[in-house]
Amino acid sequence: MALRILQGLLPFLFILGLSPLLVGLINKQKALLTGRTGAPIWQPYYELIRLSRKETIYAKTASFVSRLAPVVVFSAVLIAGFMLPVGYTRPLLSFNGDIVVFAYLLGLARFFQIIGAMDIGSSFEGMGAAREATFAVFAEPIYFFTIGSLAFVSGYTSLYEIYLSIRLDNPSSLVFIIVSSISAFFLMVTECSRMPVDDPNTHLELTMIHEVMILDNSGVDLFLYQYSSYIKIMIYGIYEVLFFNPFGMQNQWLGFSLFIVLLLLLSTIVAWVETMIARLKMKNVPQYLLFATAIGILDLLIYTFVK
Amino acid sequence: MEILIPLAILPVAGFIACYFVHNRKAQYIISLSAAVVHLACSYLIFAEIIIPAESDLFRFDALSRLFLLILSHVYFWILLVSYSYLNRPAMVKEEKSKKFFFAMLNIYLLANTLALISNHLGIFWVASEMTTLSVAPLIYYYRDKESLEAMWKYLFLVSVGIAFAFIGFLFLALSAGKTVLEGQQLLVSLFTLHAKQLNPIWLKASFIFVFVGLSTKIGIAPMHTGDIDATSNSPSPIAALMAGSLRGTALLGVLRVYQIMAPTSTAAFARSIMIIGGLVSLFAAFVFMFKVNNYKRMIAYSSVEHLGLITLGIGTGGIAFFGAMLHTVFNSLTKVVLFLNAGNIHKAYRSREIDSVWNVLQNMPWTGWLFMLGFFAVIAMPPFGIFFSELMILQGLLSRPLLLAAVLFLLFFIFVGMSRNVFRMLYSNSPNNHAAAIDDKFEITHFTSLVLLILLVILGITMPPQLHSVITQISKDFGILL
Amino acid sequence: MENVLSILFCLTLLYLVITARLKTYVGILRAQGILLSVIIIFPFLRHLSVHILIIPLMSLIVKAVIIPRFINKIIIDLDVKRIIEPNIQPFNFLLLSVASMSVIFIMSHVLSGYTPIETIPFASAFSAIVIGLLLIIFREKLIVHVVGFLILENGIFLFGTSIAAEMPTIVELGALLDILVVVFLMGIAVNKISSTFTEQKVTVLGGLKD
Repeated sequence: MALRILQGLLPFLFILGLSPLLVGLINKQKALLTGRTGAPIWQPYYELIRLSRKETIYAKTASFVSRLAPVVVFSAVLIAGFMLPVGYTRPLLSFNGDIVVFAYLLGLARFFQIIGAMDIGSSFEGMGAAREATFAVFAEPIYFFTIGSLAFVSGYTSLYEIYLSIRLDNPSSLVFIIVSSISAFFLMVTECSRMPVDDPNTHLELTMIHEVMILDNSGVDLFLYQYSSYIKIMIYGIYEVLFFNPFGMQNQWLGFSLFIVLLLLLSTIVAWVETMIARLKMKNVPQYLLFATAIGILDLLIYTFVK
Repeated sequence: MEILIPLAILPVAGFIACYFVHNRKAQYIISLSAAVVHLACSYLIFAEIIIPAESDLFRFDALSRLFLLILSHVYFWILLVSYSYLNRPAMVKEEKSKKFFFAMLNIYLLANTLALISNHLGIFWVASEMTTLSVAPLIYYYRDKESLEAMWKYLFLVSVGIAFAFIGFLFLALSAGKTVLEGQQLLVSLFTLHAKQLNPIWLKASFIFVFVGLSTKIGIAPMHTGDIDATSNSPSPIAALMAGSLRGTALLGVLRVYQIMAPTSTAAFARSIMIIGGLVSLFAAFVFMFKVNNYKRMIAYSSVEHLGLITLGIGTGGIAFFGAMLHTVFNSLTKVVLFLNAGNIHKAYRSREIDSVWNVLQNMPWTGWLFMLGFFAVIAMPPFGIFFSELMILQGLLSRPLLLAAVLFLLFFIFVGMSRNVFRMLYSNSPNNHAAAIDDKFEITHFTSLVLLILLVILGITMPPQLHSVITQISKDFGILL
Repeated sequence: MENVLSILFCLTLLYLVITARLKTYVGILRAQGILLSVIIIFPFLRHLSVHILIIPLMSLIVKAVIIPRFINKIIIDLDVKRIIEPNIQPFNFLLLSVASMSVIFIMSHVLSGYTPIETIPFASAFSAIVIGLLLIIFREKLIVHVVGFLILENGIFLFGTSIAAEMPTIVELGALLDILVVVFLMGIAVNKISSTFTEQKVTVLGGLKD
């Protein structure tokens, strides 16, 4: 029993502890690819520490929603993180139908971030919130088509069991891995506000999405927002990497190291993509997301007919 | 296989020679000799004096022999006149086109021959695509806006159409699933032999795709537009070639698939599709015959009408099938006469508009009279061959009175519309009352037209036994007993 | 493995539907050429010989090298605007494409019940044919029409391999040569059209009618 709890705590610590590191890695590689030295990979930790020490200031127009939102966002994202298996141990939370809960926990986080942004009453935040809401509409089908088609095929509705059901002896699994990882990558890029949907480095309010929503937050609130955005990247990274699960199924330690390697590889890919691709025009973003949705539909089609 | 030397290798040699020899007269003589040898060979094959050995890829059954003779006949006459056509005074732009005129004609002959004698549908497909490619640069002969547009449309529409036909052929391969034919090559002879085992649903799908795809090339409405543009904007020998033989080549592809379907339960389906296609073509010809104000387009619509009649005849079966085969022969020859004389009119009046042509009969007596005779031939006046073949098609339709009535109605109004246009060209007075100074000497186009018209009368009245026996043989191959 | 490659083929089709750059069109043609060449090698992998490699090699050269280069050259020579001009909302176009793909997949699945076809390659091939046609219908630039035609041809090519209809070598080579010449002629025509007409759009070609 104690072992099970320990095993369950492992993902908790992993996600909580290492997600700033993943972001730091991405930023460092991005800097290197563009020929700069870049900040050290621990920079996100320093940022978080710095933010936690600062005083929290609220706008005069802000209501209790502003105080509530960061906490809700952080906890919702963290709980969603508990549903993903890290290194092939059974996650803390795993039950039938958790794929839907997973999606809506993240949805809840987004909802509170949006109303939190609107609550402040600044037009910039309102604009950012509107964009976030628009893109979320297009991003959600990607998730449901990808994971839904796999749930449909495997017959499971729990993330952990779905991932376990991917097997290499089924020749079409390879197709699945390719197609799903592409659409999952699109999903990650959108949900985590990375390029080419949003540029995390930009400081021009007119073009930002995520950064503009937290413009008026400070101190612990900003700490929570930033931390949850790091965790979100980690969650989607894991979500993507787990499609390659069957390769490390036989041995837990081999699986775990493969998991780490893939996560590192993913950070390189994200950095590479962000270096190579310019941010899309705002009006072209829905099209880009629809492309990912179309891939998801294709996925569903294939798996419905070629079990 | 030796027979391929005169039929296929010679045009290739002609193409190479024409590519390297720049003297137009030399090119003409080379191409003409290739054409003569080709004509002689196809006549000998037609009359079964030479019986070529059949191989997997090529065959010489009655259908191939008939269409081969039509091709080489039309080609020969066109080539004969094209030298004088090229020597006509022309704009600077055309000079460039003349360089490769004969070279492309040789490729045209090669491609059509291969398509006609192919037994493998893949070869038919490749060859018929090649016919499009060889004729497309020739459509662009005048190098003006209209011909460019016509060439683009023809090239594009027909390429897409032929791609669809290929899908149809692949469906045919699918229909062979779970039978002895599975995994076999797409040989017409093989498929005809085992036709009864084929999957009827795929057969039907195949026929639809092949018919629709190839009708861009045959000129069956509603896919006829590219064909109309191309024939009306190309120089008249090319237009005559297209109307006389290229459409026939495409028709052969449809006939091959129909031949496979003929003994099966799906034959009725194919026949009704063809009847519908024919009727729609007749209707399109009827509508546009009144709208058209360009006499070359008018003749092109008349082609749509006649190819429609032919598919109608094939679809009806029985004596109408016999009539349709005969109709292909006569229609090809008549179209040559019409297009060549239309070309002469175009040369003299420098316009393709019906309204800017007047009093042809007085200004150009030879051309005018021959054009009129050609017109009589094409609307099926009695001494000419088309009268007899059309009569047979109508006779076959007797068992379907409603269809017969519709066809007769459409034919009558096509006759009215066309003769209104033609007689306006031939008789109307000059709009500004000055006599045009057009010299109309007896030249080789008139000679050709005259010979072809006489041939039409003779063929129609006497009905040579060889022709009769070949067409009877074709009908037998399609399971039609007369 | 054929299935995997066909799915990749489908992905290129979807990308083709959303992209707005001519350059990407050429890239997609190249990618499809490579994919198709790899697909046709697979059935022969067990008894590999030089003779068998001729067709894949030729199709690789023609479809992945010569044709994309030629189209690229036209785009550069004519200084075509690098963005395509759709006459339909991109969103609707994507919707239309995905809807038709869905119908095709469902139909192929139904058909595979009683005919020996491989669902995924068959459906991918048909999707390519339909999307090629949609491109021809809903795009205005003539050069995009040529690309659409090539996509259609690629689809037919994949279709031929998916139903395992083996053609004699001479036919395969002839077909490749035909496609090459068609593209060549169309390229020349586009070239001429751009020098004769003001624009290289299908809308300028409306002169011939009754």
